[in-house]
Amino acid sequence: MNMQIDSAVKRSRGYWFVDGFTEMTVGGFFIILAALLLFGRSASPDTFTSWFLSMAGEVSIVKLIGLLAAIMILCWLKDHFTYPRTGFVRGTRITTALILVILRNIILFLLLPILALLAASLLMTSANSVLASMPVWFPIALGILWSIFFLLSGEWMGLHRFRILGIVVLLAGIGIGIWQLTIGLPAIPISVQPGLTQPTVVASINRTLTSLSDLVLISGAALLISGLVTFLRYRKENPKPYVEDV
Amino acid sequence: MSGSLQNISSLDRVIHEPARLMIVALLSSVESADFLFLLKESGLTKGNLSVHLSKLEEAGYLEIEKTFRGKIPHTEYRLTKKGKTAFEQYRKSLGSIFK
Repeated sequence: MNMQIDSAVKRSRGYWFVDGFTEMTVGGFFIILAALLLFGRSASPDTFTSWFLSMAGEVSIVKLIGLLAAIMILCWLKDHFTYPRTGFVRGTRITTALILVILRNIILFLLLPILALLAASLLMTSANSVLASMPVWFPIALGILWSIFFLLSGEWMGLHRFRILGIVVLLAGIGIGIWQLTIGLPAIPISVQPGLTQPTVVASINRTLTSLSDLVLISGAALLISGLVTFLRYRKENPKPYVEDV
Repeated sequence: MSGSLQNISSLDRVIHEPARLMIVALLSSVESADFLFLLKESGLTKGNLSVHLSKLEEAGYLEIEKTFRGKIPHTEYRLTKKGKTAFEQYRKSLGSIFK
């Protein structure tokens, strides 16, 4: 009986994802972000600082505009499509206490293990080998992180398709890491000059960004497909807005 | 009478009714929801749902808020603090019975 109650509780929690719009919007946003990471890079950066700032700036602008656009599109779609069919649900209010709990959980379950792994890798190897192997470990670590996020949120909302998404993202991260390893790692010079753009270091960072954009692209495509399938099923189950019986 | 049997008799009768339990469970994890959502998710008839919502309101477990979404009048249902506490207590009691 408790399981049935749990199922009802989770059903309300996951209602935001019932129509697939959120996944499609986030998936589309991820694909745009991946395109920016792939094609929006400066070919000949002068310094690391200017390079990093220009890219961080571009990505932040896209994120900010994308986020605002995504929220507006989602609200419009839900107002005109979802709520007239299956009703309106107002999510739990985000209080300061809730934010603190979420932050605590993120630190405990996600960041600490990753930081521990990074610290261990720094202690065991030189900084150069960490930088050189970045195209390999970065997508794997990010794939693990995102898959944990998908699995936990899927469990919390009772959405089984999030488990599949988690597995896809994990496999994509590992696959990209292995692919980067098989094509060979860039040789980083023994003394890395901070602030200077040494070609091999730039090559390592460029390949890491390629790994990142590949992972973002695959995750975006997976989210888009998942959202589309969910949307088609939802539309089939609820073809018309609800009309009161006369 | 053993402890778990005593727990059965202490179960909240307002929440224990299956339809009301479903409504309370659906509302427990969100701020509020409208009639259509509860109707679709519970599978109850409109009349039946209205009766159960009224009973929960009478018990002080539910409050009704009439708002507007754009120009359309909109009624939302939310669990009160008393309702949330009663639901948590009910789940605890249920858990201890089936231990």
